[in-house]
Amino acid sequence: MIAETAAQLKQAGYCTPRSGRDPVNLPMINNWLEAMGDNNRRYAAEGVAPPAMAQVWTMRGLHPVATPDDPLFAMTAVLDEAGFTAVVATNCEQTYHRELRLGEEVAVRSRLSEVVGPKKTALGEGYFVTTESTWFVGDEPVSSMLFRVLKYKPAASTPSPVAGDPIRPAVNRDTAYFWDGITAGELRIQQCSSCGSLRHPPGPMCPSCGATKPSFVVASGDGVVYSYVVHHHPPVPGRRLPYVVALVELPEGVRVVGELIGAEPRVGMRVAFDVAAGLPIWRPKSDLPPLSIEITPTFVVSSALATRDFQDVHHDRDLAIAKGSKDIFVNILTTTGLVQRFVTDWKPQARVTSIAIKLGVPCYAYDMLTFSGRVTSPTTIEVVGRNSLGAHVTGSVEVADA
Amino acid sequence: MLSGKAAIAGIGATEFSKDSGRSELQLAAEAVRSALADAGLHPSDVDGLVTFSMDSNAEVAVAREIGAGELTFFSRIGYGGGAACATVQQAAMAVATGVASVVVCYRALNERSGHRFGQVSLAAASAPTTSGIDNSWHYPMGLGTPAGTVAMAARRYMHKYGATSEDFGRVAVIDRRHAATNPHAWFYERPITLAEHQASRWITEPLRLLDCCQESDGAVAIVVTSAERARDLPRPPAVITAATQGSGPDQFTMTSYYRDDLSGLPEIGVVARQLWAQSRLSAADVDVAILYDHFTPYVLMQLEELGFCGRGEAPAFVAEERVPLNTHGGQLGEAYIHGMNGIAEGVRQIRGTAVNQVADAHHVLVTAGTGVPTSALILAR
Repeated sequence: MIAETAAQLKQAGYCTPRSGRDPVNLPMINNWLEAMGDNNRRYAAEGVAPPAMAQVWTMRGLHPVATPDDPLFAMTAVLDEAGFTAVVATNCEQTYHRELRLGEEVAVRSRLSEVVGPKKTALGEGYFVTTESTWFVGDEPVSSMLFRVLKYKPAASTPSPVAGDPIRPAVNRDTAYFWDGITAGELRIQQCSSCGSLRHPPGPMCPSCGATKPSFVVASGDGVVYSYVVHHHPPVPGRRLPYVVALVELPEGVRVVGELIGAEPRVGMRVAFDVAAGLPIWRPKSDLPPLSIEITPTFVVSSALATRDFQDVHHDRDLAIAKGSKDIFVNILTTTGLVQRFVTDWKPQARVTSIAIKLGVPCYAYDMLTFSGRVTSPTTIEVVGRNSLGAHVTGSVEVADA
Repeated sequence: MLSGKAAIAGIGATEFSKDSGRSELQLAAEAVRSALADAGLHPSDVDGLVTFSMDSNAEVAVAREIGAGELTFFSRIGYGGGAACATVQQAAMAVATGVASVVVCYRALNERSGHRFGQVSLAAASAPTTSGIDNSWHYPMGLGTPAGTVAMAARRYMHKYGATSEDFGRVAVIDRRHAATNPHAWFYERPITLAEHQASRWITEPLRLLDCCQESDGAVAIVVTSAERARDLPRPPAVITAATQGSGPDQFTMTSYYRDDLSGLPEIGVVARQLWAQSRLSAADVDVAILYDHFTPYVLMQLEELGFCGRGEAPAFVAEERVPLNTHGGQLGEAYIHGMNGIAEGVRQIRGTAVNQVADAHHVLVTAGTGVPTSALILAR
């Protein structure tokens, strides 16, 4: 039934176009910029809308009317019936062919691109449903989006860290300075106070000169991944699987092992030292100035409404909790807008031509969302947005002129 | 000095299983008795015993069980599987110096049904020892299994030489092909294809399940006596032509990550130089190589350190099978008896009684655990 419906919907192709409520207009743009905290003046100066607003123009609003031939609606109904009742968005890839100008009327057409499943996932068994939407001004396609959701049967238990306490280091008088440094948030390298040699891991006697008066220097905290592993098995007490452990070479000339958080690992990647749970860890070094957003309830609500997303989980705490969430949480259109803002705060004149994001942990009210980014080509920025639960969003932004 | 003085006169083993159903001491005693019977010797002939520091059976406990009398030599070697060939080196040195006349090396473990080395050891990082402190730079950070520690070096090797997971997989395919024709192997009649290797799940990337040796219950024992005496015993002696131990500069146990280069095994280099010096042979003279294979990438690095091929050339060397490798099936295919079953295979190749016999095998190389302070042997007719 699932496969047949998918085949029929794919066969049917694009649904009938659906027009936006309003033409591209300044009040909605300004509300959106205000909610995102985006002060970029280029949009006003050039009379264009921020590209990441593409989907906003055709959002269904507070009282959505179902369109029978909308492929995602139809596919959702079939999967609901088959017991795959829960839904989570996993990917959103938007391409902006050009910027929209004030006064332009936008319409959207969608089609089912593929249905893959059943797949076993960490959340439960489910189907990945991918739709493709194209926005038009008249006959001209102006932007497009690939949107993927996982429709799943919630597993009996959600993935959680393996039971047990995390492994703690043995500390003795030779190594206490290092762990004191971790407590102080700094990376200390043993230095011989006689000959000045640096050493890690440390020891009581300098192998170069034999002196037994070790001291330490504080490392810059920069490093380069020398090698890494991705641990899948066996379970490790207190840890979520899989995780990455990197051997990092410091400019000071020693290597230090630590978990690498927040990026696909590769040898040669530039990383920065940080401390988490009393252990040294590595994060990808941000080429862009970091952006931290305090996720207040006001932020969640105002940004959801500014993107014309009236789903209750983004503004009604009681209903959000009733649906199994911890609190109200940030909607995807806002995440997309923040990814854009992170890049354009750094390069205000940059014109964003695509934003492809993978969604991770939810971003609940009262958390802090921090972005870091790496420039991987003259026009590509890899972005990660993390909160206290982990990676909320990872993705890649293409710009026309970085 | 040591070369040619001592020989292996007997080998013995229990069955290799996943659940032996008996104590490690019983396994040890059974293997030792079986090796003595193979050598045509009696427990009362034994005056020396050597094992691993990781073995749970004290030399005196084994001596009691087999009914040996006085011992004049007993010794234990550290560093996990790195001890394997060093037990024979210790025995050979004891015999060559007259400290003992018949020394039995043994290793017995219920590694699958009992303590499994592949699981994360909480205690390993908390021990108030240099090992505990060393482990504290790795275990708390999430690097707490043998596979994890080897994966770090494997990734660097791939990065430096362009080696692939398939290159690792070819080692497993060779081992399992040999195990398939070895009735004593756990994976008897169960060969694998490279595609099956590639389809096996990740343990710690870049290592897949089929890159990792199995977990086994069992025991192996090796009887060492003087070459002269061995010639009077029933079996053709496997003469210990070279017996070496080695650790490299800035050596750690499994985590020697702080040397200039992470894509080789300097401790195997230390062992290799001694092997060729003691035996006056070179890699080209080796007829069969039994290389310690707890994880496939280290087999490639060993071939390079031992001089079978140049740096980064082992993937091609293995693809072309330019030396008979792990003819018993290795620890991936036969059993994981901490390298001791590889020594037994070396002896069978010299005797001409191996299931996958290499014609005219005159010189067999056997290595021990890698990534740790290690050891190696050359056995000859």
